[in-house]
Amino acid sequence: MQNILKELEAGSLDRPKRLKAAKKEGKKIIEYIGNFVPEEMIYAAGAEPYLMCRGGEPEPPDAVLEYMLRFMNPYARSLAGYHMLGLDPVTPVADLIVAQQLDCHIGRISEVMEYMELPIYKVGVPPDWKKDYTFDYYHKALLKLKDKLEKETGNEITEDKLLEEVKASNAINERLRKIDALRENTECPIGGTDFIKLNHYSFFNDTEYMVEALDKLIEKLETEEPKFAKGTPRILFAGHIVAVGDYVVPRLIEENGGFIAADFLDEGIRWYNWDVPVEGDIIKNIAETKFLVKTPVTLFQPAWRERVDYVMKLVEEKKIDAVVWYQLAFDEIYDMECTILAKNLGEAGIPFLKLESSYEYSREAMGPLRTRIESFIEAVKEAK
Amino acid sequence: MNRDVCVEYLKYLAFTDEQIEEFMPKFEYAIPVLGLTEQDLRFSMDEWLPQNFDMQYEGVKKLMGATLRETVDIAYTTEYKKQGVKIVYGILPAIQTNYTAIKEAGGDGVFVSFADHWLLCGLQYLFHKVDPCLEKAEEEGMTYGCRHCALNKTRIGGYRKGMMAAPDVIWAWGFNCDEGPKTDEYINMLYGEGEWPHVISRLPHDTHWGEKDDEMVDRIEFLAKELKDGQREIEEIIGIEVKPEHMQRAVANCQRRAFKAGSLVQLVCKSNPQVLGANALTMFCNIFALPMNAGLEYFEDAVDTMLREGRKAMKEGVGVIEKDAPKLGCYFVPYAVPWIDRIFRDNGVAMTFSTVLTPNKKMMQAPSFEEPFMATAEQWLRMPIGQNMRYEIDSMIDKAKSNNVDGMVMGFFDFDRWLGAHQKMCAKIIEKETGIPHFYMESDFWEDRDYSPQALKTRIESICQVIKMRLEQ
Ligand code: SF4
Repeated sequence: MQNILKELEAGSLDRPKRLKAAKKEGKKIIEYIGNFVPEEMIYAAGAEPYLMCRGGEPEPPDAVLEYMLRFMNPYARSLAGYHMLGLDPVTPVADLIVAQQLDCHIGRISEVMEYMELPIYKVGVPPDWKKDYTFDYYHKALLKLKDKLEKETGNEITEDKLLEEVKASNAINERLRKIDALRENTECPIGGTDFIKLNHYSFFNDTEYMVEALDKLIEKLETEEPKFAKGTPRILFAGHIVAVGDYVVPRLIEENGGFIAADFLDEGIRWYNWDVPVEGDIIKNIAETKFLVKTPVTLFQPAWRERVDYVMKLVEEKKIDAVVWYQLAFDEIYDMECTILAKNLGEAGIPFLKLESSYEYSREAMGPLRTRIESFIEAVKEAK
Repeated sequence: MNRDVCVEYLKYLAFTDEQIEEFMPKFEYAIPVLGLTEQDLRFSMDEWLPQNFDMQYEGVKKLMGATLRETVDIAYTTEYKKQGVKIVYGILPAIQTNYTAIKEAGGDGVFVSFADHWLLCGLQYLFHKVDPCLEKAEEEGMTYGCRHCALNKTRIGGYRKGMMAAPDVIWAWGFNCDEGPKTDEYINMLYGEGEWPHVISRLPHDTHWGEKDDEMVDRIEFLAKELKDGQREIEEIIGIEVKPEHMQRAVANCQRRAFKAGSLVQLVCKSNPQVLGANALTMFCNIFALPMNAGLEYFEDAVDTMLREGRKAMKEGVGVIEKDAPKLGCYFVPYAVPWIDRIFRDNGVAMTFSTVLTPNKKMMQAPSFEEPFMATAEQWLRMPIGQNMRYEIDSMIDKAKSNNVDGMVMGFFDFDRWLGAHQKMCAKIIEKETGIPHFYMESDFWEDRDYSPQALKTRIESICQVIKMRLEQ
């Protein structure tokens, strides 16, 4: 199993190199920010997509402070920060950066990037999603994106091509769901940290290759020794995002006696439980799946009733012992949601731990973080 | 509470005997609800107001009086509710007319106000005492460390402390930050669903650098739909129909008030010595921006009085700072933390206008659409805060130039992930393009627990020094 994971990791790390080679061959490189930007459309336009989602290091968020308010979340700040530090190999060669516009953090960071003369293109996502005309707005935003991509690449996004990409994407989702299902048994050969990484790898490896690799992995996992012992506390890991490279917190949970048996994240993860239907108007299907069908992201309004219900359902179905809420510093809406979740879980007697990160994992910060996780998991074990 | 102190306080705020008589029962009711004491009233009239505002003017006293009236009325909402009055709140920033039209339609049967704003202002602006509200919200989950907006905390804390009733409906224009509109959902989730009915109107920030938001017809159409839909929902919930004539009256009133506010800004910006401090000036400008249930006519009277007094002071060459003092514009003068303006003045520099509350040329033009919601939507998108950063910057440059300022101060919005996030960058760009020095101060518009006078004094002193040195060169 480890070999497959390593190969996938290497494939992800190697992606910028492959992109440069593709660019030389005349392909367009299109970066994108956020799950409301359909990667499938970029592939269907014959371009190479690249998800901007790095994080976990303190310097990039700090790099934008010359231009930006300190109290923005570090993930958003990193989007521009890596580029400003010269640590982003893809952005300088990107032909277009498609950024979803749903929240203020990404909104303002997109403007920093525009000021830096990066080729930003915005896809508006109205948060008040339960109105016909807001759905139309998002749907139209995707149709405009189609035009933009076609213009940029000179290739038409045909229904057939898009359908093919959607099917490939659904195929990855299906395999991730299979792996996710293994987590129903605590004596599981793969943990939540690796599962999150697999999601990340799926963004950076070619689709076909990814499907094959996941198939191989699933086969291996069937015979693999369990990584977690019976009785290990089953943790639901929830929050905004685990950025690519920001693995400290999930890793610490699993190194200190917990097992991430389920996740509930808005970004940096595939929405693998929600396949796009393959019949009918595909762009409309994509819009409907992301905007109307999937459990709403926290920025949507209303969202919290459905999200609390979803968490409760996960707790029950996945036999969760405790919830760890992973929050980025100054992420004000997630901070509010945390209070709501804590209240609801508290009333249901489910242990809850809030962890916050500013991507500062110095030795001084790691000690208390490890201790908090350790003692929380210890307490959950005792209560079991 | 000693009645004499109440009378003394109201007299200090230019209430007439007749007005005192009429207002006293509500005032006495509101004092304990708002957690005010005799000491607070004394502190307000003996120290806080005279130290921080130009209380020599009757107009400023009336401005404070109008603010007090509104705050007291908010404290009275629980009673109003019992009497069957429909309670409608809104949040800022928004356009006043859609709310005042509801008041025009509903009269005394409806209470319409931006309750969190006026509660915060009443408590902070008059008594420097909003902290208990903020602390209440923090205790109950709006964590201190996350830098949530004090206005939203006041909505939560004020409600939880019984200072304002739950509304029949709150109409949140979420066209700037995310937290403002999400706060209503938060209250609902935390304190019982259905507890805090709300209607939300949102608009994604998806125009590109320099695009003209107010000239994009599909954007105007979408926003008009949001507003129309919002208004329809409000009407259904409160059972009051807003007819075109109500809207027309609201628009006419708002235009008249905007004209008066504009005249006052011009007067203050032109006067030398400057006749009025920026704290009061900015607050006066709220007259065309924010709805009030009880305070608007008093507010207008305050503006009229101030215009008369300002003109007289100008004629007589009397000001609040010495002649030829350098002038600074501001993104938004932090009137709820009035000592900031005072420290500038103590250092011989005058703050003047706020770009946010100063109409730009386009805002003064007639709407391009007759349909009222299209016209309102266009008006919102003509406001710089409704635009993408580059387009907003163009408008800021225009205002900085036409108001002839020696410098601009940005900042004071460190809690605001939209209106506060970009100010550093705006400062850099505008300074580069105009040569007008821009300064950025990280601080809070609404409260001063994090940024004390001691903490900001040195920064303000050095800004003042730099401005003076540049002028001497
Ligand atoms: S953060 Fe800004 S826009 Fe949002 S509620 Fe506060 S003051 Fe208003």
